[in-house]
Amino acid sequence: MSGVPILQRLRGRELAWPSVQVLPPVGLAVPRPPVVRMPVTAAPAPVLRIDVEVPRPAVRRFRFERAEQPLAPTPPAARAEVRAPRPPAADRPVRRARLVPPKDVVKPEEKFFYLLQPDLETILQADRLEFPRQPFPFQLDGMAFLVPRHGAVLADEMGLGKSMQAISSIRLLVRTGQGRRVLVVCPKGLVSNWTRELADWAPELVVAVIEGDPQRRRWQWSLPDVPVKVANYEVVVRDRDLVAELGLSFDLVVLDEAQRIKNRAGQTSKAVRAITRQRSWALTGTPVENSADDLVGLFEFVAPGHLSERMPPRAMGAAVADHILRRTKEKVLTDMPPRLNRDERIELTAEQRETYRRAEEEGVLRLADMGREATIQHVFELVLRLKQICNFDTATGESAKLDCLQAELEEVQASGRKALVFSQWVETLGRLEKSLARFGAIQYHGGMSTQARDQAIHRFRHDPKHSVLLLSYGAGAVGLNLQFSQYVFLFDRWWNPAIEDQAINRAHRIGAAGAVTVTRFLSVDTIEERIDEVLRKKRDLSDTILSEAGSPAASGLTVDDLFALFKLAPPARAAA
Amino acid sequence: MEQATTDGALFGFLTAVDAPGHGLFGGYLVVDARGRPVEFLCTAPLKVTRAQQILYGATLHGHLHGEQVGSTLLAESESQPLVVLTDFEPLLAVRSHTSLPVAAVKRPDEAGEAGFAVGSVRILATASDEPVVRERLAAMAAAVDLSEPFERIRLAIEEAQRMTPPARAA
Repeated sequence: MSGVPILQRLRGRELAWPSVQVLPPVGLAVPRPPVVRMPVTAAPAPVLRIDVEVPRPAVRRFRFERAEQPLAPTPPAARAEVRAPRPPAADRPVRRARLVPPKDVVKPEEKFFYLLQPDLETILQADRLEFPRQPFPFQLDGMAFLVPRHGAVLADEMGLGKSMQAISSIRLLVRTGQGRRVLVVCPKGLVSNWTRELADWAPELVVAVIEGDPQRRRWQWSLPDVPVKVANYEVVVRDRDLVAELGLSFDLVVLDEAQRIKNRAGQTSKAVRAITRQRSWALTGTPVENSADDLVGLFEFVAPGHLSERMPPRAMGAAVADHILRRTKEKVLTDMPPRLNRDERIELTAEQRETYRRAEEEGVLRLADMGREATIQHVFELVLRLKQICNFDTATGESAKLDCLQAELEEVQASGRKALVFSQWVETLGRLEKSLARFGAIQYHGGMSTQARDQAIHRFRHDPKHSVLLLSYGAGAVGLNLQFSQYVFLFDRWWNPAIEDQAINRAHRIGAAGAVTVTRFLSVDTIEERIDEVLRKKRDLSDTILSEAGSPAASGLTVDDLFALFKLAPPARAAA
Repeated sequence: MEQATTDGALFGFLTAVDAPGHGLFGGYLVVDARGRPVEFLCTAPLKVTRAQQILYGATLHGHLHGEQVGSTLLAESESQPLVVLTDFEPLLAVRSHTSLPVAAVKRPDEAGEAGFAVGSVRILATASDEPVVRERLAAMAAAVDLSEPFERIRLAIEEAQRMTPPARAA
């Protein structure tokens, strides 16, 4: 079709198009030409319409409540010191500590509320919150972690300033109206430490210590205009019904040395969990002391129902990751003075060795004779007896450890330094005090009144005559700031290395002026050596759970471990 | 609209983030003199087609940032800040859609000697706005680093991106 000329194709057809006529040349014989109609108007071309206008975007809008004014006016002297933020050096990026919203915040309003807060440095500057010392960046990070969280565990290694971070965070909550009623619960021996730290780090906050007779405590609990109250664990247990009767509720409850509530069935745990509260923070350097159950106990307070004891350690680690912040000195204080550890292996004196040998042989024989009747109590008593002989010969009073300690302390005293000596027995501390009188040794233990303990610390800190402080692990391992001491001696060993670490960190902490030397006395070929061996092998559990932190909070001895010290089967297996 | 007073002075921070796969997000944060957030607005992502880019040519930025993003955000806001600051120069075009003084915040290495210094940044405004901007910024400059609120807006926009599925072209 396409090859046929157009005229031939159109011949004889009537085309509907408008047309013009084309006449052929004149000639009578010529047949009439066909009429060809040609189109004169074209069909309209299709139009492509491009939407040029960019539509106005939808807008989401969030409004935030205005932050409240400070509760107390800033003293004029502090105002005068306010400076504009220091401009960053051109060659380094600005590092800002920002509030970290918890992962379980799902409402956009809440998320944006936290994200849009200024960095902490700006908040502190703008609110004229001054500190006695410039906080370390990791401490600002700790505050940025705590402030937005309702359930949080600050598990920094001892000495990194957990209480300072908590106090500064409390201060921020009080300033923003989120913390009108705060309760700090701590061990009895640390109450004065807390009031001192509160006065240092939050001088504008009014603090009440709950103490004294029941009538006085009732009045203190009821004080309406006191933003921060401090109580020890025993008071909280004793006043559990009173707190309920008064209908008290707190915006925040902070537990210091929170490992105290690891036993969920214990009265302490029940009493603190019964307190009505909005926020629950736990401070502890050892969230996992003996087993993963410790953490379950802690979380019954921090975030009830979050953990169960059947969870495998890894799952537990993942479940608590957003609630726990743990940093180690190694990680955050790269320029902190080093801690030098040395194990002083002590040979018992001949008399001591003989006493020890007899006691062990008799003890083991007795246990063997008891067979299935032997209980953990019997084993424990033997261990304690042997450990005591390692300290002092019960027959002659001789002590190879004391001889060694005296020699070491002479050097300490000569250099004008200070030393801490830890023991698990108050009786040992008493003996040491007499023997070390020339070094001005003074005691600090739970058998002393709070006032006497405070005086002991004051004398040790300020009087150059006192070179040695003798502490029990129970009272002296927690909460004290003794960073002016350069030497720590563990005269005997505790059952759990985590407690020993706490003790050591009284000296090796922020503010330490130089290297801290830690000497652990270990009697050769004795129960002390065997216990040390067991504990060395038990540092894995918390590593698994707190793998992010990377620092072990080692486990203690179990019943099985204790029986194994004397190659005895534990009771359950003996029964089988 | 909430009125600014001497005690309750407010400051606006306006920026935009072009997020690949999503489009252009506008963010507007109003803070008080201590830097605390009072109001935050952000736009849904806006994606411009190739044809729109060609047809708007050089006028696209002014239209997109000044009118569609900046002006929309300011119009939706309930706050009346003393000054609107931006760290994204195309957003200065919003000035022709608002009665508020608008100024750009620049790092010294970006601005050289232009404008005037406030803390660690330099402020660039039109000659007519500069005196009033200079006077009004004095209220907060002592406490707040003026480049810092933009970081917050970007963090919030990142969060908004996570909540928003990737956009299709408009």
